[in-house]
Amino acid sequence: MAGLVVPTHRQPPLIYRMARALRWTGIFVLVLLVVYAGTVAYSAYEAAHATIESRSLTGVLVANGMIEVSGSFTLSNPGIYPIGGLELFVYVANSSDVPLGTVTLGPDTVMGGSTGLFPITVKVPIAASSAAESLLFVDQYIHVKAWANVTYAYLFPLSVMIAESRSWGAPFEGFRATLGSPSYQNGTVTTPVTLTWTNHASFVEAGGISFEIQSSGLADCGGGSFSINVGPGQLYNQTTDVTLNTGCNPMGGELLTSFTFEGSTTSFPPEPIP
Amino acid sequence: MSAAAVPARAAPPPQEAPAYRIPSLTYRILVAAFRLILSFVLFVGLPVALLAYVHSRGLAIPISIAAVTTWGVVLLSLSAARYVLKPTVAYGPLSILVSAVFFAYLYYLVTLSPYRFVFPGGGASVAAGYSMFLEILMIVPVVEIIAGILTTIEDFASPGERLPFDYPA
Repeated sequence: MAGLVVPTHRQPPLIYRMARALRWTGIFVLVLLVVYAGTVAYSAYEAAHATIESRSLTGVLVANGMIEVSGSFTLSNPGIYPIGGLELFVYVANSSDVPLGTVTLGPDTVMGGSTGLFPITVKVPIAASSAAESLLFVDQYIHVKAWANVTYAYLFPLSVMIAESRSWGAPFEGFRATLGSPSYQNGTVTTPVTLTWTNHASFVEAGGISFEIQSSGLADCGGGSFSINVGPGQLYNQTTDVTLNTGCNPMGGELLTSFTFEGSTTSFPPEPIP
Repeated sequence: MSAAAVPARAAPPPQEAPAYRIPSLTYRILVAAFRLILSFVLFVGLPVALLAYVHSRGLAIPISIAAVTTWGVVLLSLSAARYVLKPTVAYGPLSILVSAVFFAYLYYLVTLSPYRFVFPGGGASVAAGYSMFLEILMIVPVVEIIAGILTTIEDFASPGERLPFDYPA
């Protein structure tokens, strides 16, 4: 089918030119966005291989009777687009899901082709029956939950939730302070006190453990101390003799112990004496 | 020599040359079918393959394969019909319809954002928002709807005016 008339070199009507310009604009924007989406998808695929990696948690006793649980998150971004507006909220709980603390990080940006390292540190006070108490004496898995909000490639907001368990080695795993059978000699009563535990933490326990024997009526029956230097993985098992104060009966009382480390003293939960 | 004595030579009559050539209906149908097949591979086949791959890895998919196929087939069929009917006055309204369906498809995808999935094992979950990208992409059908309206107005005001420019001889 062919039409006649009109030489075609004349300028198209304005309305035609406007419609054509709009169509070309639409196609141009579409191609641009499709190419952009393609590169984002490829970049995200690369980044997904690395994503967030975590390292194991370590613990150390710090001043004021606190235990410090620390670790880090590593976020690799091998893609070409930045991970922006990174906000990280970390929740740490012990194996019984008792909260130990929370950490908030960011906002931060991890540029394309780089790696971000985000340290997390939670300080937990050690007190009898506290959440941190079990960290001192029981090997366990610490529950770590991390929520991250980021914007990938400027246009794509992401919320990531990671839940994982990290092994925790207790510095005084299986700690026991026991009182042996008393012996009588020349009117004085002597009783052996034995401390035993294994250091499953990553630091050397160098310091001293002092103890006090308390009667059921809260009278001081005597005490002593151990000088310790226990490396990671080492078993400690030492006994010392204590001369009890005259007339003081420790049976039914408690053995109070405290650990002095780098200038700070941490009181351990009392051990009942049968 | 007076002007009246010499008769003026009459100008030759204008050459009637074909100003545009519209391909035959059969040809347009064949080209449209070929374009349909290519577009189907790009805009339906590949996304469906990608979704099937994601699904096979144990991850939830953001949109069902049936939905992608249905929307894709409707859009591509309308596009093919628009190509076939380009020389007619139906072209403008069909352009508006195709763009409106494309807009509706994008809007449907926006309602599915964010895409939430849990990695196998349950150790990590992700919610990925993509609505901002789609909202920008919506510019495309909006612009094409306006273009379709202009073409419709032109076709009704001056039928056939655009044909020499759409199908130059």
